[in-house]
Amino acid sequence: MKSPALHAHALTVPGRLTEVSLELGPGELVAVVGPNGAGKSTLLQALAGLLPCEGVVQWSGQPLSQVAVMERGRRLAWVAQEALFEFAFPVREVVAQGRFAWGDDLSGVAQALAELDLGHLAERPATQLSGGERHRVGLARALATGAPIQLWDEPVAQLDVRHALEVMRLARRLATAGGTVVVTLHDLRAAYRFDRVLVLDGGRLVGNGGPHDVLTAPLIREVFRVEATFVESLVPELPVN
Amino acid sequence: MRSRFAVPILVALLVLTFLASLAFGELRLSFSQVLGALSGSGGDEIARTVVRDFRLPRALVGVAVGAALSASGVVMQAFFRNPLASPGLLGVSSGGALGAVAVLALGPALGFAAASLWLLPLASILGAFAATGAVLILAQRGAGAERLLLSGVALNALLGAGTSFLLTLTAGHFEVNAQILFWLMGGLESRSWEHVWMGVPLITVACLFLLPLGRAMNLLSLGEQSAQSLGVDVRRLRWQLILLSTILTAIATAVAGIVGFVGLVVPQMLRLTFGPDHRRLLPYSMLGGASFLLACDLVTRTFPIGLRLGVVTSLIGGPFFLWLLRRAR
Repeated sequence: MKSPALHAHALTVPGRLTEVSLELGPGELVAVVGPNGAGKSTLLQALAGLLPCEGVVQWSGQPLSQVAVMERGRRLAWVAQEALFEFAFPVREVVAQGRFAWGDDLSGVAQALAELDLGHLAERPATQLSGGERHRVGLARALATGAPIQLWDEPVAQLDVRHALEVMRLARRLATAGGTVVVTLHDLRAAYRFDRVLVLDGGRLVGNGGPHDVLTAPLIREVFRVEATFVESLVPELPVN
Repeated sequence: MRSRFAVPILVALLVLTFLASLAFGELRLSFSQVLGALSGSGGDEIARTVVRDFRLPRALVGVAVGAALSASGVVMQAFFRNPLASPGLLGVSSGGALGAVAVLALGPALGFAAASLWLLPLASILGAFAATGAVLILAQRGAGAERLLLSGVALNALLGAGTSFLLTLTAGHFEVNAQILFWLMGGLESRSWEHVWMGVPLITVACLFLLPLGRAMNLLSLGEQSAQSLGVDVRRLRWQLILLSTILTAIATAVAGIVGFVGLVVPQMLRLTFGPDHRRLLPYSMLGGASFLLACDLVTRTFPIGLRLGVVTSLIGGPFFLWLLRRAR
């Protein structure tokens, strides 16, 4: 049996995440939803090995402690919720940092810039960009790593409709190519386009499965304390061509 | 500005300020006299003595101190992801000053000669490392940048208070007081070959160890977690940076006292001109810092009315800093 791309058992970060266990396979596009403070960002950071935590994390069947730091940079990319750049590095150089673990070989950097529609901003200092543009720089850097596991913390919250759809299309394409893409979201409607939805509430995993199985009206009422109904409405899509 | 001009410009500046440091002073020498004295072929005995025994060691110490402080500033700024961080942030220089001042103030009472050439720098280095060690212990818990910063601020205040106390304690003793002031305001006067051996080799080695870290510093300066996720061993890098920066600042303080603003102004100036890439910013800052310090030292020599080095660097650095703040808005 092929080992899951990401495996967590009883993953706990004191005060923030309690006994989360999950298995995510290659080719899966996964949404993480939950109210503010539910532990979505913490889960991503813990899976990425960026937080001290209790429990087990394995990447492709390998315990995280056995993966060298440099090697981690090639296998998993993580994008922060806040894209803050204190120093005026040009966009191209920030994206090229994605190749650190590969010895700065620059392969895929130009493609990542184009993919996130940053070609025209490549020479601009990252400090001069808008919040949404900075976020796209962070995504492009993660893309440039070429890592098969991609963890993106609220990648679309600050993006305009078109760029958000492009990012979602990119996520889908990476998953179709065999990657594992985990994305935290606030837009529950968008979560229906994912293969799997993880619902966090108060640091606990309270839902894990296909969107239609998990995102039911009772669960949404319980977790988010809102009433959810299915309605028909305008749905923006990227033009087909 | 294009960075391919950077090295020629900075090297030219350094050569120029270095030669000027050898030529200018109470006894004005021509450049040919200086070159003659350096090569040992010139017949001018006085010029040779002045250049070789006095100005050359002074200039070499100046180069090392300037390079060390600017490089240390670059490190602190990347470390704290704040372009306004300075080398003394973790208490290194105020600890170093307190170490030296304590020996100066209390030495006579305790019966050892404070005048000993090696004692003061040694006390200063001990003070510097003790201060940084204390900050690290106080900050603990993974030594997050913010905790470190706040601990540094608190300790700096404490050490400053200690130094001020010793200063008032010795208020009656003019000579001791004057020596203490030297440490607090920095200076390159009467720096000898001993100071060169004390400072230059260690600073050179620390600088050489620092240069290859520029790549990882680029990533660190844009966030610890994202640097970690991209393959930087952040824990290890942070320890390397703190250690090297402490060595650089401690040695610089030990041989020249507290010289403020160099570590802030020089990296800022170069970052604005040539961009923030630490692979280039580190060597540029070493070159630029050396020239800046020599230039400031030249000013203290040109106006010998008690203008101390630390005063000149701050006189130039202060207004520049304010201008920078206005520009940054």
